[in-house]
Amino acid sequence: MAIENEKVSASESLRKTRTYGKVRCMNPSCMGRLEPAPGSMQITCPVCGMSYRLFWVTPELPRIRGPVWEVNRKLAEEVMAKKKLEASKDGSL
Amino acid sequence: MALDRKIAYIDLSTGKSEIKPIPLEVRKKFIGGRGLDAYLLFNNAPQGCDPLGPENTLIISGGLLTATCASATSRTHIMAKSPLTGLLGSTNMGGFFSAEMAWADFHHLVITGKAEKPVYLWIHNGQIEIRDAVKLWGKSSTETQWAIREELGDQEIKSAVIGQAGENLVTYANVMTGIKNAGGRTGMGCVMGSKNLKAVAVRGTMDVKIAHPLEALEFNKKFIEQITTAKVNKTQGTLGTHFIWGATNSWGGIRTRNFQFNQMENADELEPESLDDIATETMGPYHMTGCFGCQVHCRAQYRIPSGPYAGIYNEGPEYTSFGAFGSEPDCNKAETVLTANYLVNQYGVDNLEIGSIISWAMELYELGIITSKETDGIDLRFSNADALIEMIHRICTRKGWLGNVLADGGIPASEKIGKHSFDYLIQVKGMNNLHSDERATPGLALNIATSSRGSDHLRSRPAIDLYHLPESVLRKIYSSPVPYEGPLSSDSMEYIGKPWQVFWQENCYMAVDSIGICKYHTTFLGATLPNFEDWPRAIYLNTGLELTPKDIWDAAERSNNMERLFNLREGLTRYDLVKGDMLNHRYFDEPCLRGAPDVIGIMIDRKKFDVMVDEFYGHHGWDKEGVPTQATLTRLGLEQEPTHLL
Repeated sequence: MAIENEKVSASESLRKTRTYGKVRCMNPSCMGRLEPAPGSMQITCPVCGMSYRLFWVTPELPRIRGPVWEVNRKLAEEVMAKKKLEASKDGSL
Repeated sequence: MALDRKIAYIDLSTGKSEIKPIPLEVRKKFIGGRGLDAYLLFNNAPQGCDPLGPENTLIISGGLLTATCASATSRTHIMAKSPLTGLLGSTNMGGFFSAEMAWADFHHLVITGKAEKPVYLWIHNGQIEIRDAVKLWGKSSTETQWAIREELGDQEIKSAVIGQAGENLVTYANVMTGIKNAGGRTGMGCVMGSKNLKAVAVRGTMDVKIAHPLEALEFNKKFIEQITTAKVNKTQGTLGTHFIWGATNSWGGIRTRNFQFNQMENADELEPESLDDIATETMGPYHMTGCFGCQVHCRAQYRIPSGPYAGIYNEGPEYTSFGAFGSEPDCNKAETVLTANYLVNQYGVDNLEIGSIISWAMELYELGIITSKETDGIDLRFSNADALIEMIHRICTRKGWLGNVLADGGIPASEKIGKHSFDYLIQVKGMNNLHSDERATPGLALNIATSSRGSDHLRSRPAIDLYHLPESVLRKIYSSPVPYEGPLSSDSMEYIGKPWQVFWQENCYMAVDSIGICKYHTTFLGATLPNFEDWPRAIYLNTGLELTPKDIWDAAERSNNMERLFNLREGLTRYDLVKGDMLNHRYFDEPCLRGAPDVIGIMIDRKKFDVMVDEFYGHHGWDKEGVPTQATLTRLGLEQEPTHLL
């Protein structure tokens, strides 16, 4: 869609990389692609353990509605405890 | 030609107006919309002018492509010196106003002076009238628009108006058009109020001559397909912009309890799907609507389901209302958000700013910095929805000591409250931060610290950072139209490469605001949406103006420098916590306590942040103090400014 009709712009060319039917794990350095079964209401990331509730924008387009709160809180507490332990060991706490 | 639309200079003190064409060389240099507004403000507002004085210059504009065959070019931009920050005031809203203004033959209105009594402007087919608005004073934003249509006998009139907040000089008052389109940042409604200007009403039936109409229509089909097939826009069209709030809260990127936490737990009732249910139940299945020429339709129509305002029709609420009236004050009922959203739209006040300032006051109350004496007995603790709603009323009407103090904005309020209250004010350049938490995203933190109108997510936010796009994809986007071979990182928690992304996005969004299109139609949330390479053909077919992607980039960079020059002239210095490119200490000193595992314990590294700012200045051609070098000004053709060409 550049000024020349025949030339493909970066954004046009990237359209080929669009994926439907998948969501990304929202843990920032995980971000693994998760492919829920059509119509399913929850999914768990096999890498980091985050669990999410799902919403289907269209039958082909899933979206993460929000975390499963209990799982989210448990994982957060584990990380916080680990960080506190590390901090107490190196004296930064 | 679409380019023939003009600038009107209106002096409310004398009642005189003058109409001028926009020279082609000025178009090429600043394109239109926000870019040209920056030039007009720098050239027309005197240095050090009182934002509420008659010499402040209020500019209202449409973009270059507004009212043409191009898709989603409905944005209206408003600029003046801000009464909230004392720096650049600038805001941008959707709706139908700018298209109507274009059909009435105008692209920019430059309004100075102050009317002796309340007035409104009536602009129709090249004519400008100043009309009595005494009877409109005191009316809400929607009542005002209906009353103008009634008075002038034309239901097609579009008006940009202020509500009671603008009349009462709340420093973050909005300009509103339609039910909910809000020019919501930096207090442009307050500037209108200070000029006794209640509204600008427009109606146009003049032709806009398209340079190559058949080709423009044909081309726009491709453009629309590119926009509407993006996953992000399919989601927007179903759930609205509020879907971003839900996504961000999922991983812990939302502020709650005035920055004490970064995730609102058990927020199910505030998730966009819950609003979708309410909108469906109250308005039916086809409840999404849109702005002029837009195919995304990201705005929900709904009726408030319960409470004292049950049954009232409203639109939105956007991402920001869920932050302002949900997560920030920690109120987890949809009814609270929908009620507050209705009130701010009617009063005409910035939802983000008022939600933040009340949440700040809530933290101060819980800390004992303010007491029930200052609140007139209101129990201003977090989660008290009644207190939140009452404070909205009080601020917009300046009722009570605290309502009056908070109506002046965060920094003046912190000076009056004292007792270290400033330390808890989450702001940049005097404007409260978006209700997101950027401690886990250094690029976004750099963006809000350096944005020209104060803390801002719509000036340079590289939000595609959050998708973990492969570096090859990032390089494809960020190496055009200017080659870039420096570092880029797919990791949103990294610091490297982010200054370039922020710089690139800053130019991208300036171009978008100058062309007049919506940010959801560019590289904001979707990597596959149009940017510099895609715009020249739309501009050429609609206007006949031949610009290369680099020409648009240069114009955007030039316009960003105009905004920088304005801010420097009005007192910006790099490390100033009040007027500088700095973040509140809590970003650097307090770790994130909630969210996804990777986010726990994260905060911004002060040294790395400083290096990012250095690098960001370097990309701009600014010195270590953030001042454009002489070489940069010469390269951009700004060395003679102010030139007063217009």
